[in-house]
Formats: sequence, structure tokens, C-alpha cells
Amino acid sequence: MIKVTNLYKIFNQNKPNHFEALKNINLDIKQNELVLLKGISGSGKSTMLSIIASFSHPTSGSVVCDGKNIAKLPDKHASSFRSKSIGFIFQSFNLIEELTVEDNVKVPLTVCEDKDISKQTKTAMKQANIYHKKEQKIKNLSGGEKQRVAIARALVNNPNIILADEPTANLDTANSLVFIETIKELKKLGKTIIIATHDSIFDNLSFVDRYLDIIDGTIK
Amino acid sequence: MSIFLSNNIVTLFFIQTILLLFSIYSLFISLNIIKNWDFNKTTSYQYNLEKKSYLISLIIFFVIFVKIILFIFFVNSLDGLSSIVPGAMCASGIINANEYGTILLFFKIFVLAGFGIWLVLNKLDIEALDYPYLVKKYYLFLVLFLSIVIEFVLEFLYFTNISIKRPVLCCSAVFQDTQGFASMMKIEYILILFYINYIALIISNVMKNSLTSLLSGALFLVLSYFSIVYFFGTYIYELPTHKCPFCMLQEEYFYIGYIIWITMFLAVFFSISSFIIEKFIKKEYNGGYKLSIIFSTIFVLLCSYYVLAYYITNGVFL
Repeated sequence: MIKVTNLYKIFNQNKPNHFEALKNINLDIKQNELVLLKGISGSGKSTMLSIIASFSHPTSGSVVCDGKNIAKLPDKHASSFRSKSIGFIFQSFNLIEELTVEDNVKVPLTVCEDKDISKQTKTAMKQANIYHKKEQKIKNLSGGEKQRVAIARALVNNPNIILADEPTANLDTANSLVFIETIKELKKLGKTIIIATHDSIFDNLSFVDRYLDIIDGTIK
Repeated sequence: MSIFLSNNIVTLFFIQTILLLFSIYSLFISLNIIKNWDFNKTTSYQYNLEKKSYLISLIIFFVIFVKIILFIFFVNSLDGLSSIVPGAMCASGIINANEYGTILLFFKIFVLAGFGIWLVLNKLDIEALDYPYLVKKYYLFLVLFLSIVIEFVLEFLYFTNISIKRPVLCCSAVFQDTQGFASMMKIEYILILFYINYIALIISNVMKNSLTSLLSGALFLVLSYFSIVYFFGTYIYELPTHKCPFCMLQEEYFYIGYIIWITMFLAVFFSISSFIIEKFIKKEYNGGYKLSIIFSTIFVLLCSYYVLAYYITNGVFL
């Protein structure tokens, strides 16, 4: 499903502030696998996710997804890959405060063609258990509800891969547990999920397939 | 004395120099890309080349964009200079002020057409998954770079050799009926050929045949030029003796010449581009046909409108 080979990410290469965020990462993630990337802040987790999501390019190495090296995709194709295959849940949700829940969830579909926007939006909101708040503006929602909107937006394209970057960083324990239950349901739907976190609430979960520790840009 | 230091010419050279510097930078990177490109590699060097290629494409795109505007500015400046050079009534006198003018004008059109081909190739390249035409488009840029340098030198020679004391010929003397192609053939025959050629161009483009589109496009360029200068132009000026391709660019004629010439060149470019692009990409390319039909039709309708409008208003042809 996702094969990462000899992946390096170096910021400010050959400059005084040269920083190696990822060092020789090799990883093979199978379809429907749930992988937890654990590590302290600055260890390279988010960089790793952004490369898998084709938000950024590696310095060297490859990330092959369904036979395509997504690290080498031209911008147009990278956007297409993201809109079809990736659902990304951001740490700070990245929602548009002035829009309603429904309009936020719709956003990824606006760049897609031949989609039944209202049907898919409704399905995604129901999956994330936020349908009852569809008319509400984001600014009027609690942290947990915002998180569910972010999940609905990540699911609206029906992607195969869900990436979550520190998804519980802005949630209390109760809402974090709700999030974990949602992830469990998504795994049952056959999604491949990678979560980057340093939250101990994810420790020893039975449905997690693999825990990977990232330390100073290297998987231990 | 020379007109080299007039405001328009200084501006023109200043911008051309900047574009030349951008092109020199792009040249070095292009050579590096041509030498070291290997899309299958996942090395830091290859990723760096991919980033640089993106930058260079953007720079070349910028150069082309500015060059298109600069070409219009160049023609407009020539027209403006006609008030300084004795004998000149429009850009025609200025362009014929020395032996470099006509060559420079045609060379500029050639360079723009070459960059047009580059743009199409670049579009096809970045739309594909693995940059299949990347090396070819940078080889083409090497040729275009050489053209830019030649254009720069020609432009320098041209503007440094225009005297404001030596009289030049005006358009009525330059485009006499007794000279060149038009003297060999009656304008009626040229017109009949022009409209037949237009129909042939449309059919070639509808049939999506790149070779016949190339041939009909090339012929359309020649016939359109003579038809405009020796027939349609007289209806724009409403004077049978006024034969000039440049006066119609003036305010007096509502700058209609720009629309006429631009639509004509675009029609020709898109008609011939399919054949050239196919030679580069080694497969069928249908991107230019529809645009050629649109621009050639606008051009022919616009030219014909002046004749019809004159006839409706005056009840006679010129």
C-alpha cells in the first residue's frame, strides 16, 4: 500500500541551520493497517506525514503508493492524488470558522468532478457523528465537535488513507476517547490509517497494528 | 544622430536586458538539467533538478509573457518614432529605415512563435506523470536562447542605425502596387485564394490533419498579409491608395490593426503548431485545431466586415 524507501528530509541543506528531519526511513504499510508514529515534538512525525500526503517533497528517497512514487508527482497530479486517496486530520483542525459544518466538510469536493456532493457530505458527517450540527458555524462548536468536523472533512472523498497529525492535542480525555472509537470504526471500514502522536492515551490499544517510535528523524 | 536614447527605446532595451539575464541564468540550469536528468533516480540531486526545472519553467514563462507585451510595445514605439524621423508617416517608414528593421520584425515574430511551441510543450510536459518532454523542451530552449541573443543584437544594430536626419520612405512608397508579389497577381485573385485558403484551413483543422493544417496555415499567413495590405487595409482606411500594414495600428483607426494581426498570427500559429508539436512528442496532438478555427474565423469576419460596412454605407466598393 505505502512503501517508504531510504527517505531523507533535510531542511536548509548545506546552510548553517542545516537540519535533518528524517534520516533513512524505510517503512512498508499494508492496506487496512493502523500505524501509530510515536515521538516527542520535533522528532519528524509531522514531516513524515506531510511527505506521505504529498504536501512536501523529500530530499531523497521514495514514497510509493499504489505503484506511484508520490514524492515525484508534479503538482497537478499531487493535488489529484491527495483529493482521491488522502484524508488528513490536522492538529489544529484547520477549519474555516465563518462557514457551517456542512460547508467545511464540502470543501475537498469543490475541486473534484463528477461527485454527488450533498450525498457524500451527508455520509461523511454521519460517519463522524456531526450531522446533527450541520447548520452550525464552526466558531460556535466545542473542541471535540470541531475534531469531528475535521474527521468528516477527511472522510468526505472516501479516501483509502487517513493521516492524522497529533489529532488529540487540542482535546480533553473524553473527546480523545471518542476520537479513538471513531478511528476504530474507520479501521473496520478498511481504511489505512497513520496517526502521529505523543499522547499516551494511544498506548496499548488492541486494534493498533504497529507502534513505531521516531527519535531524531529515525525509526527505532 | 541616433534615436537610440529616446524614452521608448531605452525602456525597451532595459527590459530586453533583464530578460536576457533571466535567459542566461535559465540557460545554465537548462544545460545542467539536460546533462544530468534521470527521472527514475530518487537522489537528492535529482529532486533538486526537479525543483530547479520548476523554477526555470516559471522564469521562461515570465520571459515569454513579457516578450509578448514587449512586442506590442515595440510596434507601438516604432509608430511613435515616426514623428521624429523625417519622411515617416507610421511604423512602416521606421521599420524600413535601415536593412535590419524588416529582419528584426520577422525575427521577433519567429521568436514568439518558437516560445509558443515551448509553452505548448511545457504544458504537455507538466500535465504528464513523468515529465516525458522535459529534456526536449530544454533543448528547444537552447535554440530559443540563441534566437533571443540574435534578436538582441539585431535590435541594437537596428536602433543604433536610425538617423533622425536621413529621410525615410513613407508607407505609400513602400507598399506600391508595382512592387513584389502583389504586382504579379491581381488582388481579385489573391482574394479568391484567401477565402479558398480560409475554407481549406477550416476543413484541415476540423479533420485534424496536422500536415494539411501546416500547409494551409503557412499559405494563410502569406495570403492574409497581402490581402490585408492590398485590399482589406484600404477599406479600413477608406482610401484605395492607402496600402499599409502599420497605419491601422494607430489611434485614428481605433487600434484595430492589433486585433487583426494578433488574430491572424494566432490562427496561423495554432494551425501549424500541431504538426511541429507532433514531431516533438511523437504522437497525435489535437490541442491547436479548435483555437485555429476560432481565431481564423474572427480574423476573416473582422476583415470582411470592413468591406461590407463600406459597401452598405456607400453603395459601392472601393
